[in-house]
Amino acid sequence: MARSRQQLGQRNGGSGRAPSGSNASFIDPATLVRIKNLQLRAKVVVEGFFSGLHRSPYHGFSVEFSEYRQYTAGDDLRYLDWKLFARSDRYYIKRFEDETNLRCYLLVDLSRSMGFGSVGYDKAEYARTTAATFAYFLSLQRDAVGLVTFDERIQDYLPARFRPGHLHRVMMGLEHAVAGKSTNLQLPLEQIARTAAKRGMIVLISDMLAPIEAIESQLGYLRSRGHEAVVMRVLDPAEVDFGFDQPAMFQDLESGREMYIDPAATRDEYRRRFEEHAAGLDRVCNQLGIDLYSLSTDRPVEFALFDLLNSRMHRGRQASRQTGQRAAATGGGGL
Amino acid sequence: MSVLVPLYLAGLGALSLPVLFHLIRRTPRGHQPFSTLLFLSPSPPRLTRRSRLDHWLLLLLRAAALALLALAFARPFFRASAVLSLEQLAGRRVAIVLDTSASMRRSDLWPQALAHAERTIKELGPNDDVALVTFDEHAQTIVDFERPGEPPTRDKPNLVRQQLKSLGPSWRSTDLGSALVSVATELDSAVEEAESIAEPQIVLITDLQSGSRVEDLQAYEWPSQVPVVVHAVRASKSSNASALLLTDTEQATEDDDSRVRVINAADSTAEQFFVRWQSADGRLAADESLPVHVPAGQSRVVRLKRPSELTADRIELIGDDDVFDNLHFVVPPRIETLPVVYIGNDSPTDPEGPRYYMEIAWADDALRQVELHTLTDDKAANPDEGGDEERASSESEAASDSRGGKPNLTWSELSTLRPKAVVVTGALSATMQERLRNFAESGGLLLLAPLSREAAATHAALFDGVEVIAPDSEAAEGDSTAEATESRDSDVEQTAGGRRGYRLLAEIDFSHPLFQPFSNPRYNDFTAIHFWRHRRLRLEDDSPFQTLARFDNGDPAILEQALGDGRGILFTSGWHPADSQLALSSKFVPLMQLLLDQAAGGKLVRSSVAVGESLALPAWKSRANVVNARRVRTVTKPDKTIVRLTSDATNFDDTDQPGLYELRSDEETYLFAVNLDASESNTAPLDVGQLEQAGVRLGTEITQAERRDRLRQQRDKELEDRQQVWRWLIVAALGILMLETGLASRAARQTNQPTEATS
Repeated sequence: MARSRQQLGQRNGGSGRAPSGSNASFIDPATLVRIKNLQLRAKVVVEGFFSGLHRSPYHGFSVEFSEYRQYTAGDDLRYLDWKLFARSDRYYIKRFEDETNLRCYLLVDLSRSMGFGSVGYDKAEYARTTAATFAYFLSLQRDAVGLVTFDERIQDYLPARFRPGHLHRVMMGLEHAVAGKSTNLQLPLEQIARTAAKRGMIVLISDMLAPIEAIESQLGYLRSRGHEAVVMRVLDPAEVDFGFDQPAMFQDLESGREMYIDPAATRDEYRRRFEEHAAGLDRVCNQLGIDLYSLSTDRPVEFALFDLLNSRMHRGRQASRQTGQRAAATGGGGL
Repeated sequence: MSVLVPLYLAGLGALSLPVLFHLIRRTPRGHQPFSTLLFLSPSPPRLTRRSRLDHWLLLLLRAAALALLALAFARPFFRASAVLSLEQLAGRRVAIVLDTSASMRRSDLWPQALAHAERTIKELGPNDDVALVTFDEHAQTIVDFERPGEPPTRDKPNLVRQQLKSLGPSWRSTDLGSALVSVATELDSAVEEAESIAEPQIVLITDLQSGSRVEDLQAYEWPSQVPVVVHAVRASKSSNASALLLTDTEQATEDDDSRVRVINAADSTAEQFFVRWQSADGRLAADESLPVHVPAGQSRVVRLKRPSELTADRIELIGDDDVFDNLHFVVPPRIETLPVVYIGNDSPTDPEGPRYYMEIAWADDALRQVELHTLTDDKAANPDEGGDEERASSESEAASDSRGGKPNLTWSELSTLRPKAVVVTGALSATMQERLRNFAESGGLLLLAPLSREAAATHAALFDGVEVIAPDSEAAEGDSTAEATESRDSDVEQTAGGRRGYRLLAEIDFSHPLFQPFSNPRYNDFTAIHFWRHRRLRLEDDSPFQTLARFDNGDPAILEQALGDGRGILFTSGWHPADSQLALSSKFVPLMQLLLDQAAGGKLVRSSVAVGESLALPAWKSRANVVNARRVRTVTKPDKTIVRLTSDATNFDDTDQPGLYELRSDEETYLFAVNLDASESNTAPLDVGQLEQAGVRLGTEITQAERRDRLRQQRDKELEDRQQVWRWLIVAALGILMLETGLASRAARQTNQPTEATS
């Protein structure tokens, strides 16, 4: 548990630090976004990631045995472990992690607030690259990938599939420009709730710059259907530390509202309120059991992939542990 | 120093703006897009005290530029003298144009007009010149402007006042257009000639009635520097109607109903009127007036019975307020009696004789009765034997005149009847020739149509330069056949013998009054008339005869010669069937009527004219033009004044009042009626805008103080235009702004550099 808590802390507080300590072997995102083709960009990330992982992913997420369960009448005999039956003369049903059939939905926020960027490219570009990387990575694993881009309404919706050409459509779907006046999570989540009958994984890539109350009610949807949910929060460094120095008319990208801001006078106040918001978001995600990762746009995209895999592994272990505990409680033998 | 437009100095208030802007640190111009304002609260703009100290030079420059701009817009100039006295005012040339038409006779319009004129005179300055022009049908200058080179008139306003006292409205119609045009032209040309700075002005005092004629203004380009100030006088009570007789008086007989048109003015308040005949002595011509209901602005035609027992000569309209146009004068119809003497032996009932046809031709005329008196040619031949026995013995004596029924009289008796014409067919004695010649020379008309060669010879003796020739000589020339010599009347040429040969009229002088009505090509065909016989005459080369018509062989057919004041007309062939077909042709009756017209000595062309119109006087239209030449003629006006006409007058122009005029010459008396112009009764007020539409520049009357102010303003403007200080102010403002821009950019660079360095 201590380890998991440590992992949680690392996850939620992650703001640019590479897990391996150095990001020298990773590609600078500013260089990466110069690659115009989104698929190529994803490929570069994923393959670089593999080379640094020292572990072949081609075996990693293959069909993996997870637990045994005592046979009860009506179970499919195909999953009976005959070898175990030969050894122990008991009927056990083998259970596998249903990973090959993972259905992953990428929810990418392309509202105008994502159009902000102080490092040469905007948050939307970073989010696109991240989403493309995930999609490429998952399609390599023959997982079904779906895509929902949204702002205040749904821009594009692609159901989770694995078939030739689908990846290309996902890439095309990501090419949308930023639009919309606000971020509304409700609609895409309702859409997924309506269409995705099978449980899957939902990766929300957004800046989550909305009042905590609204986010709380909307994120509830993510978990209500039992989906596994990950929130990748994309933030620009300027949004975190508010590093402006000249007074200016600050214009809200979504509402267009202008406000005279003297950064010197308001910086502390801003940071305080931002931290409060971040803490609120963390609390909400904890309550709902949603993994929250912060992605700073000046961090290499590979870290996002790390975060995703971390989340997966954490989930898998958590799930297997929970299953083991449940099996022990019911009196069933476990390994 | 003074300013032309002080209101712009309010722009100096803008000086506070730079001060304000300098006090407030301006909100940054830069825009910083940001993903959300969720965590931000607006920073208040900060007031800094140091900014004023930092940029005091800029502040001063900006304030100076604004002040200069405000001053430039206020158009400053330097004025030498501030006061302007009345004597320094440039003079005006004021033309008082006063309406004296008949419509100004209504109620109290004339006193009102005089009051307006008096007010205008009072407003005149010491340098102003004034003229007085009255107009009705024509404009008339009563007091003229001073001419350059002429000594100035002293105390002109009083002169105008005196003239105004002697004026009064006339009876004429209103020609407003021509009056304005003539006055404006004069003022305009005077301005151009004298190059005077005196501003012209027309003060028009009129009742502006709708009947005024303004057509002349349409074709006139109104001079822009001549304004017209209109003082329209208005009657307190306005209802006006007029009556107009439509029936031609010459055609009207006594028992005819006359058609009367009653016209009501557009602004009339009354609608019920009465019309009646009235006579000169004021007695009611009819017991009952005829009621007529005419709505305002409309007209009605009613039948008004003409009274038979009275000499009604005017139609009176009752029921409206303005009475100046309520009488319409009509010349009562009069039957003219023409005494004519016939000298000849034929009977009035004999269809073979000329008299029979002559009487028939003259019989049918409603307004002219011919009184025919017969003098047998016996008596004419022996006038001294005149007695009862001859009257009884004469053949034609028994025949009394069919018109007058009078017995035959002697010449001396006849001459007292003042016959207009003498028709002679028989021979004349020497005494009678002498009498007839005297008759003609005193203005009578002799119509000679000899039946025989002997008679022709006695007729020819009346004239000069003619002699009767025998047909033999003509026959010897081969013109006549052998049968001609066998004719029973050897004294005349009988063409082609019996009825087989004939002569036609040729070479007719259609310019002569006798034939002028036939000059139309539809009527000028005389070739259907055959002449069997005619008396041959030979004219001497210098004969005073005028040949009105010739036969186709060149012999004269109709001749005319002036004899003293009168004339003689000689027919060489008679109109009776034995001589020709003339009496049976369609030309005969009009020809005889024309002869009668000549005998009557002419008549009035028109019996009714409008006031101011000229009347053509009756005159003998002979080329000799001697008939009326020595006569004394007078015209008696309705107010009993008598106008003597000159001997060569052809027109009577002095129709200055409505009523019945009497034109009297030695022998004749003509009546003619003069009525108000119908347009003068149209008293509804005319819209002043119509003058403006016609191009007249309307002005307003201004007092002397206003003029002085206006002139001062004008002078200020001229001064300002000449000095044009504002240009220099603008230039200075631009220079300051450039300096300010340079300083401001330098200051901005200085403030930016440290920040860049720090960032």
